[in-house]
Amino acid sequence: MKFLKESDLPAFLEHLSGEAAVVAPAKVDGMVRFLPWSPGTEVELEALLARQSAKEFIFPQWETFLKFRYLMVCDAKRPGTTEDAKMELRLSEEGEGGGEVVAVPAPAAHELLMVGAEQQAVSQVIFGLRPCDARGFVQMDRVFGGYGGFYFDPYYHARRSVATLLVVSCHEPRSTCFCRGVGGGPADAEGADVLFTRVPEGFVAQAFSDKGAAVLQYPGFEEVSEPQVAAAEQSKARAEEMVSVPFELESLREGLRANFESADWQELSRRCISCGTCTYVCPNCYCFNVTDEVVETQGERLRSWDNCFNPSYTLEASGHNPRDAKPSRFRNRFNHKFWYYPEKYDSLLCSGCGRCITYCPTRIDIREVLSVMGGNETRAAGQAAGGAGAADGQVAADAKVGGDAADGEESQHGR
Amino acid sequence: MGDEQKATHPAAAEEKSGASGRRTLTFDDVETLAAIARAGHRSGNPYLPEMASVVEVIQETPNIKSFRVRFTDDEVMQSFAFEPGQVGQLGMYGVGESTFAINSSPSNNDYLQFSVMQAGEVTTALHQLSMGDKVGVRAPMGRPFPVREWRDKNLLFIMGGIGSAALRATILYCLEHREDYGEVTILYGARTPVDLTFGYDIEEWQSREDISTIITVDAEFPGWEGRVGFVPTVLEELAPEPDNTIAALCGPPIMIKFCLQVLERLQFADEQVYTTLEKRMKCGIGICGRCNVGPKYVCVDGPVFTMAELRELPDEL
Repeated sequence: MKFLKESDLPAFLEHLSGEAAVVAPAKVDGMVRFLPWSPGTEVELEALLARQSAKEFIFPQWETFLKFRYLMVCDAKRPGTTEDAKMELRLSEEGEGGGEVVAVPAPAAHELLMVGAEQQAVSQVIFGLRPCDARGFVQMDRVFGGYGGFYFDPYYHARRSVATLLVVSCHEPRSTCFCRGVGGGPADAEGADVLFTRVPEGFVAQAFSDKGAAVLQYPGFEEVSEPQVAAAEQSKARAEEMVSVPFELESLREGLRANFESADWQELSRRCISCGTCTYVCPNCYCFNVTDEVVETQGERLRSWDNCFNPSYTLEASGHNPRDAKPSRFRNRFNHKFWYYPEKYDSLLCSGCGRCITYCPTRIDIREVLSVMGGNETRAAGQAAGGAGAADGQVAADAKVGGDAADGEESQHGR
Repeated sequence: MGDEQKATHPAAAEEKSGASGRRTLTFDDVETLAAIARAGHRSGNPYLPEMASVVEVIQETPNIKSFRVRFTDDEVMQSFAFEPGQVGQLGMYGVGESTFAINSSPSNNDYLQFSVMQAGEVTTALHQLSMGDKVGVRAPMGRPFPVREWRDKNLLFIMGGIGSAALRATILYCLEHREDYGEVTILYGARTPVDLTFGYDIEEWQSREDISTIITVDAEFPGWEGRVGFVPTVLEELAPEPDNTIAALCGPPIMIKFCLQVLERLQFADEQVYTTLEKRMKCGIGICGRCNVGPKYVCVDGPVFTMAELRELPDEL
């Protein structure tokens, strides 16, 4: 364990930026976001969570899979230019006055000239992640990392393998936080290369990987003192106590399975407007689309974030849509996170950051959904977190639920 | 890009440490799984299609064309192996990819055949292809029919419309290994005689003594002297014995639904009945997240499922 003085943080980041691109939370236009850091940028650690997790730095909103270029050729004998064609027409229809050649049609066959895969990855150090953000990467790692012996994703892997995650534990969890409910915690080190904990005048830093140990080699770190370690432990324990456990994990998967056909899905999804905000701000949501974009003869095959609330997500060419109704799409997101994914990857696809609660324009609360659909009666009403979303014992769709979900950042919400 | 990725494949590392929660395929497992995984890593990048050229276009019906494609790299073509029932992503650069069953025989190393019904954006573009055009192919993918497990059993293939494409490779395989199987019955129906695909196969199948081929169309049609009637009705009339028999179905959902009812009445057990599903797919390799039926991805856990397996899944087909 080491100690870093708060005043040394910029120098530390500058040191890191010598070898890798540094990303850190910063406040721009009143919004805290993970942004490329450069000397002089102030790191914002007061706001608990950045608007989005840092997932876009490993799994960008869009990226190029491959590029291609068509070279037009045609075996058939055809006029090369419009002038040639006009000449031919004149020759063939001599004396009849014929038609008019406007343009030469495009060749019937095209030859592919080049296809190239794009895998650009620069080393990145992401500082200021919260434990839930880091766990998001751990959970995505399983999907893109070939867990279970299947395919793995070279694009994600290329970035992920050269990324270092420097996590700062939470000292003031929000009412929307439920990391402990999904097996994490405000000082959880899963996925962290280094875990920093705020203590008076600085950070206590502990490495959890070789990459992390290398980071702690920076000479600006001081040896940690007993009181500092004690202060860090105290801070962690205090934060831990502030996070509630809003639903029972144990019975959740069984509950979702049993409630697949439940009419409550209809009720719960009634106020959902299918905007997909929850999927975009989620540190774990990874579903994507693949599309081709072309300009003239050149193009790219792109991967971009997709959103399972979009009706066209599963729409088939025949017109059939396996999830044609909103409740079924709504259901899929929760089932994916707490049933389908766990079945495949032996983990959960949620790290309890609560962003989906904070930013949902219709105040849908994942904790409420899971309490209802998980089929467990013991709601965490009135617990330390202020009982947001866990409200009363009445089932579902209660519009008042989640009314006090967001805290400090709520002002940013009213766009 | 290849070598480095292979070396650092996380799954490989996990396997060594024994921590892998390997996904279970209930039939034909280990070998298939290995084959699938290998195929994805041939280039080190499962998203990178193998380049192929169209060598032949066959107009099967007014709206279905078959494309015979050959990998431009001869070595790839020669070493290409797949199991009947596996699928491939056939795509045009600039348009996109769609999933189609590989319907040529697995023993055919001259070309792969895909049959495409014109329906959406990609299929409409594919229908413009002519000989010599270049396409991208990512194949093989998915869990095949367990043809080796079917040895010594009677086989009943039930197909409707373009559903024939999903079963053709399996039928061809089984006919090539005819001595391994008991009675083979092919029941194929289409709306009209014009909508029957693979006329060249049907002719051969009908001429063979060792299989029984029943072709039916939905309604009377000028010049059609064959059987008339919906596939489920004809199936009920045929009344195949369920003993030691495997039924493999593919066709429009409505046909499947009624055929399953008939098979149930004939006392076929759910484990004896196989079908193959289709869904909108993008990655085709179990990552992008859209072809799931409950916890199963059609692209890697299917497309072939037994009825018993389907009954376990939520009703989201």
